[in-house]
Amino acid sequence: MIDVQGVSHVYPDGTRALDRVDLLIPDGDRLAIIGQNGSGKSTLVRHFNGLLRPTEGRVLLDGRPTADRRVAALAARVGLAFQDPDRQIFAGRVRTEVAFGPRNLGLRGAALETAVSGALASVGLVEQAERNPYDLGFSSRKLLALASVLAMGTPTVVFDEPTTGQDLRGAERIQAIVAELAAAGRTVIAISHDMRFVAESFARVVVMRAGRVILDGTPAEVFAEANWEELAGTYVEPPLAARIGARLGLGSTPTDGALIEALVGRSA
Amino acid sequence: MLHAETNLTSVPDYVLRPPAGFYRALNPATKLVIALCTAALAFVLRGWLAPILALVVVGATVARARLGRAFLPFVLATLPLLVSIVLINTFLYPGATDTLFVVGPFRATGSGLTVAGQASLRILAFALSVAVFALTTPTDDLLADLERRGLGRRASFVVGAAIQTIPRLAARAGEVADSQRARALDTQGSPWRRIRGIVPLAGPMISGALSEVEERTMALEARAFSAPARRATLRPMPDDQAQRVGRWLFGLATVVLIVATITGRLALP
Ligand SMILES: Nc1ncnc2c1ncn2[C@@H]1O[C@H](COP(=O)(O)OP(=O)(O)OP(=O)(O)O)[C@@H](O)[C@H]1O
Ligand SMILES: [Mg+2]
Repeated sequence: MIDVQGVSHVYPDGTRALDRVDLLIPDGDRLAIIGQNGSGKSTLVRHFNGLLRPTEGRVLLDGRPTADRRVAALAARVGLAFQDPDRQIFAGRVRTEVAFGPRNLGLRGAALETAVSGALASVGLVEQAERNPYDLGFSSRKLLALASVLAMGTPTVVFDEPTTGQDLRGAERIQAIVAELAAAGRTVIAISHDMRFVAESFARVVVMRAGRVILDGTPAEVFAEANWEELAGTYVEPPLAARIGARLGLGSTPTDGALIEALVGRSA
Repeated sequence: MLHAETNLTSVPDYVLRPPAGFYRALNPATKLVIALCTAALAFVLRGWLAPILALVVVGATVARARLGRAFLPFVLATLPLLVSIVLINTFLYPGATDTLFVVGPFRATGSGLTVAGQASLRILAFALSVAVFALTTPTDDLLADLERRGLGRRASFVVGAAIQTIPRLAARAGEVADSQRARALDTQGSPWRRIRGIVPLAGPMISGALSEVEERTMALEARAFSAPARRATLRPMPDDQAQRVGRWLFGLATVVLIVATITGRLALP
């Protein structure tokens, strides 16, 4: 469980990136964080594993404050995959890259092998295991970066914009990963600008603007027509299904499934 | 030590602080001359004195420019090189017989260690003098100034691209370190652990620097960089007689020292 209590973060140059944020993320939550560029999403998730420390307030991880714990220890609980894979990939082989995290956590031998193979299978890179990461395309490198965090087997997994640069197949793969993690009872948190992905894959949506949480609820609640103005204020456009549903007077239908359901219900 | 729990500045220092104080307010060309001469002296002159003096000059500039921790990534970037230089020279210096101690098949020699120490100091002084310059000088200012002085646009671009890579590298270093720490890389603890931690940090930084230079070239071309027009600059660049004289004197002294060393007329301790 992650408990963010009144957290503000001011960067050394004086930018106030977070402004008294309160957020409780129970175990097993499936949470998407959205909001315009610079609204503080990445800054917020970097507090979950201690990469950044609150300037004000505190973050509790499983009931204990993160303040006095080292990142290397917190990383065993919260895995965080960054936006740009090229800022993390260093190994000459895909398999070695994926093994880096779990190895740092102390896994060896068969346990390490299992963790690595499992993660490679999740992202569909089993056949590329012996290749050089830089021979892969950008979208595969991004999946590799995800795999290298998945392999750590952390109870919580955080993805910073996982679907950018992915084609339809890659995006579907990532949706499947989210579903798989959720089914295993792990907490999944993703930052995204892809509203369709957000509505389809997550049970809870947190909307940020200027360092604050302005909306927090299920996709149906957050993308309901009553909130559109507020969403526009942070440059978020509701998913197409939600807009069609509202236009047809079907209520809040953020996902394709919900829209079809409502349409079927009406014609029946 | 490396990245303990600090947040590396991911923005070049000059963005955060407007030029103020003695060093920052110098004309870009003066700063460039200081940086290049210190770097050249540190690199060419042998012995202990030159690199130590260069480090003192750099140290003084760092203090004057109030850079704080911003240049730590540059020290970090030189570490892989330093480590290999120290290991190779200490244990494998050709012809050295003054054995200090033995590790398995390897003999550490006193003369090897001396060479290693001097080389390390030289590299540090070299890297830091360039770093200080890059962190305190908006590249646009430098390029505009060089162009005004009649340096060809291509040449000033090469200078600019080389220098501009450095603050980018610093920004990148912070992000790379964060990614690896998020994967439980522990940069604290035993020296061995720290040394091993360098590979995952240095790799993405270097490959990133290379691709950034390439992107920059393309971006510049896309903005008609080679178009044969003379451009006007908006910002006035402070320059005065004292700086002009200082530049020439420092440059001249450097050339004399280097020539004297190369021709064997000067042997510094
Ligand atoms: N290292 C830093 N130093 C100073 N300011 C920073 C730093 N990192 C981010 N900021 C600033 O903090 C604010 C929040 O940035 P953050 O990266 O958390 O936003 P974000 O919501 O993740 O945006 P995006 O959607 O573009 O990724 C922005 O104003 C940004 O410019
Ligand atoms: Mg971000």
